[in-house]
Amino acid sequence: MNLATSPLASPAATTHSRLTQTWAMSKRSIFAIARQPALVVPSLIFPLFFAALGASAFNKATALPGFPRVDSFLDFALAGNIVQGVLFGSVTGGTALATDIELGFFDRLLASPTSRVSILLGRLAGAAAFGGFQALFFTLALMPFGVSIAAGPVGLLVVVLSGATIATAFGGFTAAMALKTGSSEAVQGSFPLLFIALFFSSAFFPRETMRGNYRTIADVNPVSHLVEGMRGLVVEGLTAANVAKALLVPAAIGAVSITLALRTLSSRLASR
Amino acid sequence: MSSSAAPIIAQGLVRHFGSGDGAIRAVDGVDLSVAEGEIFGFLGPNGAGKSTTVRMLTTLLTPTAGSARVAGFDVVTQANDVRRSIGVALQDAAIDPLMSGRELLNLQAVLYGINPASVKARADELLERVGLTEAAERRVGTYSGGMRRRLDLALSLIHQPTVLFLDEPTTGLDPMSRITLWEEVRRLNREGTTVLLTTQYLEEADQLADRVAIIDHGLIVRQGTPAELKAGIGAPTLIIAVAAHVSQTAAAVLAPFGEMRPTAEGTLGVGLAGGSKAVAEVVRALDEAGIELHHLELHEPSLDDVFAEATGHRLEGAGDAGPKTEDDAAPKPEKGRRKRR
Repeated sequence: MNLATSPLASPAATTHSRLTQTWAMSKRSIFAIARQPALVVPSLIFPLFFAALGASAFNKATALPGFPRVDSFLDFALAGNIVQGVLFGSVTGGTALATDIELGFFDRLLASPTSRVSILLGRLAGAAAFGGFQALFFTLALMPFGVSIAAGPVGLLVVVLSGATIATAFGGFTAAMALKTGSSEAVQGSFPLLFIALFFSSAFFPRETMRGNYRTIADVNPVSHLVEGMRGLVVEGLTAANVAKALLVPAAIGAVSITLALRTLSSRLASR
Repeated sequence: MSSSAAPIIAQGLVRHFGSGDGAIRAVDGVDLSVAEGEIFGFLGPNGAGKSTTVRMLTTLLTPTAGSARVAGFDVVTQANDVRRSIGVALQDAAIDPLMSGRELLNLQAVLYGINPASVKARADELLERVGLTEAAERRVGTYSGGMRRRLDLALSLIHQPTVLFLDEPTTGLDPMSRITLWEEVRRLNREGTTVLLTTQYLEEADQLADRVAIIDHGLIVRQGTPAELKAGIGAPTLIIAVAAHVSQTAAAVLAPFGEMRPTAEGTLGVGLAGGSKAVAEVVRALDEAGIELHHLELHEPSLDDVFAEATGHRLEGAGDAGPKTEDDAAPKPEKGRRKRR
């Protein structure tokens, strides 16, 4: 005999209800970002600081062999600055998920009939929104200092989409780490690794100017390829190849990271 | 009511953490049946297995062995049906401090698939019910502990569950907040909601629960109405305090008057087989033995006596309804789980 007569709960999950749940979780993630300026501001300020440093110290470096033709170092570095901000921002999203686990809010979600995938996708959608915002913010903030997007307004839109996709991709990794460890400290511990990954990439100098092991690492470093896709739009223009690289490389990395996060979620739930 | 129709039934529920010789047996074979419309109290100290049992019944943990049905559904194979039918307020009132009370209610409504057209009215109704209408738009981070617990309760009721699980709902609350929450639980129960609540507070179980299960080291050691359990103890407990160097002599004097009972350190307790009228005889016997009494008190049987009789030790904070203020006792995670024998 079934006694359940909770009159307001939906009798079964539907695709529509899952989408609604994912959207509700996404809004929560976005609000959480907007309501924690102390966490968000550093990921907006530091890349600008690096941009200012690079513009003053490395402007003449653009004349070096191997550098693409650019009007200023800022044009070259914009993609690196965006990826830097997005990478650091992705730690914030992973930390928030780990905090949900630590505080027990994750259990509240699990005790409801909501789709488990919605919990994760909602978090990643929040990361994507923030990543897109960061890409737009850095571009607009640096435009008064001479930055321009060779690919035009459509290129800017692709840059924003690329920022969102990169954020999703790295958000998947930090979410997986949060789900695996349930520790916000552990997720924050990935920050130095991201920093190393950023500096052993072509974020601030073209790979053509690198030699030896540094070049080898930069060649295989996914961050290089993420940056270069976006950079092509900024310094070369709107080509199918540049659009594809700006979107497909992070999408491919995102497919890996989201799969990893879903598997980690699944094993976390199975081990309960 | 037949047990087959009971909203909560558990049979041989077991939960181990880890494996092999180092496995921790948090719950070691719990059987219980909670009748429809009942308030069922799960009483035990930290680490007794209360929360682990609740987490299994609310689908948050998978039992290592045994089975359970909640609202007519199996907690393992029909977990989503269970989740749709129950309300859960977990220990520590896990609430996102960055959201407002109303936002959390709206989110909870979406998670339960509630028709959007009815959400606002339902949220308003619940906010009023728990006295948070004026604080509804404030972020939860600004709420007091009592307000958080009340919001937690409102969240657990958003879909009008027929069965409600409250895991230590008043731990860490001041006395006024505790009484307010008790009143709300009673009101919900009068409206037909079956409630299973865990507590480590004797008074809470005594005042609130129709029936009580005492759990210790993962096992239910007593179960019944508070009156039945206390009646089972029979004799009142006489507690005395004497100088330490005559403690053994005093114990020998007390022994003929009944069974010795565990008490706080520095005191001796005896269940007076002759009832309260034997107190005078005990005092005379101690006097004749040359033992000076520092303190004497007589306790009618309480749930703490039941607990002590069943387990050989007393509950932490026995005789108290809980901490006097929120600062006195932060919520504690379950500890000291028993190792596999």
